[in-house]
Amino acid sequence: MSKTINFSPVTRLSGLLSVEVVVDQGCIIEANAKSTMFRGYEEIMQGRKVTDAVYMTQRVCGICSLAHGAVGSYLLDELYGNNLSKQAQYLRNIMYIADFLQNHIRHFYFFSLPDFVQMPDQPPWQGQNLTDARLKPEDNQRFVDNYFAAVKAAQEAHEILALFGGKAPHQHSFVQGGVAVAPSVDKITRAQALLSNIREFIKEKMIPDTKLLAKVYQDYYEIGVTPKRLISFGLFKFGEQNQNNYWPSGVIKGQQFSKPDFSKIEETAANSWFEEESGELKPDPDKANAYSWTKTVQYGGEFFETGPLSRLIIRKDYPLQTSTMDRIVARSLEALQISELMEEWLTKLKPGSAPIAQQQETVKNEVIAATDAMRGALLHSTKIEKEKVLNYQIITPTVWNFAPKDKLGNRGPVENALVGTKIPRANLLETILGRIIRSFDPCISCATHVLNLDGKLQEKIVF
Amino acid sequence: MHKDEFVNLCQNYSKQDKGNQNHSLSKKILAAVNNYQHHQAKKLPVIWLETNDSGDNNISVMNTTYPYLDRVFKNLIDLLYSNTFMAAQGQDAVKVLKAAANRKKGQFTLVVEGAIPLKEKYSVVFTTEKRAVSALEAVKWLGSLAKDVVAIGTCASFGGPTAANPNVSQSVGVSEVLDREVINVSGCPVNPDWFVGTLAHLLMYGRPELDDHNRPTLFYGDTIHRHCQRRSYFDKGDFAESLGEGECMFSQGCSGPKTRADCPYRQWINVNWPVEANTPCIGCTNPDFPDGSTPFFTPLPDKNNNQDKRERGREDE
Repeated sequence: MSKTINFSPVTRLSGLLSVEVVVDQGCIIEANAKSTMFRGYEEIMQGRKVTDAVYMTQRVCGICSLAHGAVGSYLLDELYGNNLSKQAQYLRNIMYIADFLQNHIRHFYFFSLPDFVQMPDQPPWQGQNLTDARLKPEDNQRFVDNYFAAVKAAQEAHEILALFGGKAPHQHSFVQGGVAVAPSVDKITRAQALLSNIREFIKEKMIPDTKLLAKVYQDYYEIGVTPKRLISFGLFKFGEQNQNNYWPSGVIKGQQFSKPDFSKIEETAANSWFEEESGELKPDPDKANAYSWTKTVQYGGEFFETGPLSRLIIRKDYPLQTSTMDRIVARSLEALQISELMEEWLTKLKPGSAPIAQQQETVKNEVIAATDAMRGALLHSTKIEKEKVLNYQIITPTVWNFAPKDKLGNRGPVENALVGTKIPRANLLETILGRIIRSFDPCISCATHVLNLDGKLQEKIVF
Repeated sequence: MHKDEFVNLCQNYSKQDKGNQNHSLSKKILAAVNNYQHHQAKKLPVIWLETNDSGDNNISVMNTTYPYLDRVFKNLIDLLYSNTFMAAQGQDAVKVLKAAANRKKGQFTLVVEGAIPLKEKYSVVFTTEKRAVSALEAVKWLGSLAKDVVAIGTCASFGGPTAANPNVSQSVGVSEVLDREVINVSGCPVNPDWFVGTLAHLLMYGRPELDDHNRPTLFYGDTIHRHCQRRSYFDKGDFAESLGEGECMFSQGCSGPKTRADCPYRQWINVNWPVEANTPCIGCTNPDFPDGSTPFFTPLPDKNNNQDKRERGREDE
């Protein structure tokens, strides 16, 4: 007989998430990923001056704020016809990597690791209930020690971002037209010193830890597998008009490769708490059968997975495998690669004045800007009239990965990864679920946008 | 050592020890701290509830230095529940929360991160076997059991970006839904020093002195403008013509004159702050953030809220 279990709350992530699964004869036969918070930034942007986008949309997300500010800046660069200098692009990409590094280090050590490692029995790790602990005591201790070492490495990554960006999270200087901070020699050398600490941490701790984890939990190369459909909008823009991606964009479907075509992207809400009303999606928390504040996004009518693994595969740096462990390993490998890039790009910076030139008149009224954030493909698009926002749309990576089912009942990447998973013992269920779900690095704060309607919870019962 | 004694020691040090070059103040303070730690191994029990926000405040707190986060966990607080850090998940996490709330009833500090939607379905913090528990219900329940309530970030303090116009979820700050004092540690995000400092004060000296908006005066006592390194440019009327320049940012939309926070000397992660980065302060600690600060790059007298006020003023005439 099948049993429905609501895995709630899914802790160690940004935002509020529950995942409901149906287990039958030791196998997950259905999964519903439920984002249970509403954000509504698209509505908030309406009617504002479009230049507010850079600072306002960073508030969508705390752990990937720079990515929203960056896409907002690319969008404004095109609306106003800014020309970017080489120095501006190097500096922007250095800041981009700083935020990526803090994300990848924090995700691996703070969020993912307690899925595999026995943490000390003291706050905040009490009640862990790790039902599948496999590490030898000395290896387990090494992971715990490195958890604490990660505190400083991630902090130093954000220190680099604050050094150039004024603060972190929600940096200030990466704006339309370039970067408002002058890359002075003291800032460059300080960033280099911080980066060498971080690089040492990644090379000597994070990579060996990832390798050991992958060896001990090898079966996770077979667990949480998604259909081989992957998407990336590319990463690290260069060129005067942001026209070149240092890491390529791409769409992979089985063995086929193509470049993303934005006209094939469609957002729907068959199972989301939204109703279509005169061409717009309006919130409706009472909608029958709906189960998430995340909308459904598809490319050419199909679901696509996005994230560090997609980027690596699209760059032909990783075999075409899409399991839980592949996602974890890809994130660590990417951290190593981008730290090398930052090292190189820091040497390209020349001390001088702030590399920024903002045009004052708009040259377009409608723009789509896209790149990758830490978790994958991120898109902002807007329509304006005299610098005022008529409409602002945001499609985040977590919408791609945590999309609820489409109207035909097809499953998105996370739900797909869960269904079919074997649960050998009942007490392994949450341990296995946590591992698969967190390998996608969920960020629900990011994923839940749009509008209004009344909603009150059913009658109160003591829980 | 009592608080008064401590403050007195710091304030009168220079008078008492004139000409003393042997750092005797440090010696005295270190002795007091050691004595305190020796006699009081107690830590502050904390329950941290995340509701509707971007999660930027927990990320910012991870950036704390001196003490670093591991020291905060080791020496300052017992973080009994935290969606961000806890190892427990699912119903185990709910059990941990219930046990902590009951065991530490009347002793724990409730930290709320995020605004509270009055439309309850717009924020469900978790679902038990029986039903969904909204942010509003959870905060009321825990708020009734806590010794102190701390709102971290501007969303929890005043609604913040989550409650920005048109605020379809009808989100409000924590103090609007609790019938008790809430200590607001605002900021978008909070500066880790403001938060860690407030918790340290609660542990060592109890409730800190608060301003009109219930924020610790320790950190929110003066305006950005008062201590801004570019204040002399303002006084001379020397304004930047664009972002990226070294003069006063008032012309570029700076909200420093109406914003209380110590960013100019506190700085962010010890290295920089927005005006030093040649951009305007956007007033992120203010009760009217963000709507009172937008358009961000428009000078203060011409921002949205002021326009509204002016229009209202005309109607009144």
